[in-house]
Amino acid sequence: MSARPEVVPPQPWAFPEPQRHTLDNGIALLAYDIPGQYVISVRTVLPLPLTVEPRELEGIATITARLLDEGTARHTSEEFAELLERKGIALGAGMSDSGLSVDLDVPKRRLAEALDLLQQALGEAVFPEAEVTRHVRTRLAEIEQERAMAPHRAAREFIATFFDSDDRASRPSAGTTQTVSAITREAIVDFHRRFIGPQGMTVVVAGDLSGVDVTALAGEVLGQWRTEGQEVAEPSTAPPARAADATRIVLVDRPGSVQSELSVGCAGPDRRVEGGWAAYPVLAFVVGGSPNARVDAVLREEKGYTYGIRSGFRPRRRGGLFLTNGSVRADSTVESVKLLLGILDGARDGFSDNEVRSGVDFISKTAPGRFATADAVADEAASLALEGLTTQFTTDNLLAMQSLDSDALVEAYQRWVDGQWTVVIVGDASLYADELKTLSRGDVTVVPN
Amino acid sequence: MALDYPIHEKTLANGLRVIVSPDTTVPNVTVNLWVNVGSRHEAPGRTGFAHLFEHLMFQGSRNVASGEHFTRLMAEGGRLNATTWFDRTNYFETVPKGAYELALWMEADRHGYLLDAVNQANLDNQRDVVKEEKRQRYDNVPYGNALIDTYAAVFPPEHPYHHPTIGSMEDLDAASLEDVHAFFRRHYGPNNTVLTLVGDLTPEEGFDAAERYFGELPASAEPRRDNHDQLSPITEPVRFERHDQVPNDRLHMAFRLPVDNTDDYFAASLALDVIGGLTTSRLVQRLVRREQVANAVQAHSMGFVDGVSLGFIVLDIADGQDPDVVESRALEELERFAHEGPTDVEMESALAQAERSWLHSLASQEERADAISQHTLLHGDPQFINTYLDRLTAVTGEQVKAAASTWLRPQNRAVVAHLVATEEEAA
Repeated sequence: MSARPEVVPPQPWAFPEPQRHTLDNGIALLAYDIPGQYVISVRTVLPLPLTVEPRELEGIATITARLLDEGTARHTSEEFAELLERKGIALGAGMSDSGLSVDLDVPKRRLAEALDLLQQALGEAVFPEAEVTRHVRTRLAEIEQERAMAPHRAAREFIATFFDSDDRASRPSAGTTQTVSAITREAIVDFHRRFIGPQGMTVVVAGDLSGVDVTALAGEVLGQWRTEGQEVAEPSTAPPARAADATRIVLVDRPGSVQSELSVGCAGPDRRVEGGWAAYPVLAFVVGGSPNARVDAVLREEKGYTYGIRSGFRPRRRGGLFLTNGSVRADSTVESVKLLLGILDGARDGFSDNEVRSGVDFISKTAPGRFATADAVADEAASLALEGLTTQFTTDNLLAMQSLDSDALVEAYQRWVDGQWTVVIVGDASLYADELKTLSRGDVTVVPN
Repeated sequence: MALDYPIHEKTLANGLRVIVSPDTTVPNVTVNLWVNVGSRHEAPGRTGFAHLFEHLMFQGSRNVASGEHFTRLMAEGGRLNATTWFDRTNYFETVPKGAYELALWMEADRHGYLLDAVNQANLDNQRDVVKEEKRQRYDNVPYGNALIDTYAAVFPPEHPYHHPTIGSMEDLDAASLEDVHAFFRRHYGPNNTVLTLVGDLTPEEGFDAAERYFGELPASAEPRRDNHDQLSPITEPVRFERHDQVPNDRLHMAFRLPVDNTDDYFAASLALDVIGGLTTSRLVQRLVRREQVANAVQAHSMGFVDGVSLGFIVLDIADGQDPDVVESRALEELERFAHEGPTDVEMESALAQAERSWLHSLASQEERADAISQHTLLHGDPQFINTYLDRLTAVTGEQVKAAASTWLRPQNRAVVAHLVATEEEAA
């Protein structure tokens, strides 16, 4: 073999700059021109905290979002679906804990028609009774599917254990069987009238925009949308409350399960955290971001207990979580939990210069490729807009990352990781419930699947 | 729309087919290799081996330490992985331009000199990892065996697609170091590989670098056997039932299809879109929207090269509905479609969605490089990414009807039913 080639370092990179415009009705328009991207991605976001949902109707925001294209003032549900499909449009809508998102992808030459249909979905949805019934039923079936899938079941138990039961964050964002069953057409119409409107909305358009006057196109349709009495809910200013007894182990019992799904976490930062966000993606990579990161170096490459376990910081509008998730062979559960918590706690002791360099370089040097496509650019801009931020944050964050050292990483890690872990395990509890108590990581509770 | 992604091709003296597609919009290069070996080439008693072997390609080679492929390239800003499928195995990384020669050098080292490093400890470790992959993806998932059951129901026992790429636990246990050596010698070599480079480089730079790092490797792979002849459709319905702890009944209704990259395959896949794949498909309109007897309906086609492809419809049965009744209504729609063919609006919709989906997949360098490698390796057609939409658009409604009539009639189906276990069965 020839000699190992030297690597030439890449040039610094910045996130693409958008054209900014405010439509007549107040909608903020961000247009990212990305040559060669022939499918245009449109992302519409409206910050809206889930706390605006009535307690007994939780999930109504999600059901409302899913019904936006199921019948409008001008078209039945089936007609609307056909209009989208014939123009090659993919449209989807959903709700996160930060707000409403309506996403659309369309070949460039159909952009004008797509924006017109988007406006009809947002502003002219009529929520036919039959479609409401169908989507409620679909969500109820989805809840049962989620219960059957170990990662989903673990996520549901994690938020129920970690967050205070009075906090909205402790319950599924798309609602439970009880609350979704109570949702009516009348309630949806009222919810839509009160909360869905142009005030506070951002529309992101990304793709090859040469020869396209996006401002005019958007102004003609989205800019003409008017509502009366839209209530603008203030985003929460405090992180969701942690449960007083969050430091414990909960086993979701599934007799006969061949693997155990682990979800281990503690409180984490949001993007506005003191000291800056830059350290956290790097930490996640170093601790649990690749087959040779600290967690998988042991649990996968040394022990062969797992196909892969990943760590990540999950910021919310305020507050966040530091989560590590993955599945392990059932008979390795206790040892896996012990090793995993040991690795997570042990990272408080510090990181090597090589780890810091690798993590910083991975996050920063992959950025041009991660944000090369229209959908990736639009998704980043939209998710930041939901948090009240712009993509200048992405650029600034990558720049700040360059000056991180091991001291900065340790300080950031220790700010959150204090050895107080919430551990959820979905699997056959009879195999390991007793032995887990010997780990002294808090009470061990078994709950049914 | 006419696409004109640049395609430059050259074959090295050792048989390595190299494609370079310059794209300066991002300062990256995607390195993508397709090797013409997949689970269809596996020997009896060694199912899952092609995939297990792919894992070993990350465990070091003559000049690269175990795990270094991931750690070194990720530290240079690389995103990388590999996958194994029925027809082939692919290895790929997207790196900043200044690191693409390192990526090529590391690829050449493992594609040429893997056996210097592979050992029993690595084999045992990755065997365990692959078993956990199987448990995570198939065994510990509701309906996780649906596709595995489908392959077995649709394809004859001796056929290369009868068994799944993930293989069986018994066969994974049986894999030995000798198998690793034999497999590498038979199947790996530049004469059985396509290398595609997409990104910020010129054709000359790409060809020179390919020669520099891969030029010395010998044309070591054995010649490929001929692909199997086209299988006929099933003539009598096949049924396989599994009673399991699942949230609701689910049917996979599967069909043999023509081999990939043929007008007949394109026509059959458009037919499946119209029957069950679109959000306005006939089955969605009737079973999900109007009668509300299914929670969801999907349809997919998977193009293969070894004598047959696969099409299937997934019917997610609504709570309280009889799966036999839902199935019989779906069969009515199949029969109706085979007689009527698509409407103009259905053709327009299927083509419009296919166009967006194709343009979307070509939007990233990674997927573009993968599509180029695929069609160069399996079909000898590096220009496919530019011509596919024109070929698809040329398919007529009559051809779609004819394909449905031949391949998608009720008697051509194999149904895999995952049914909610009764309390006695669950006990």
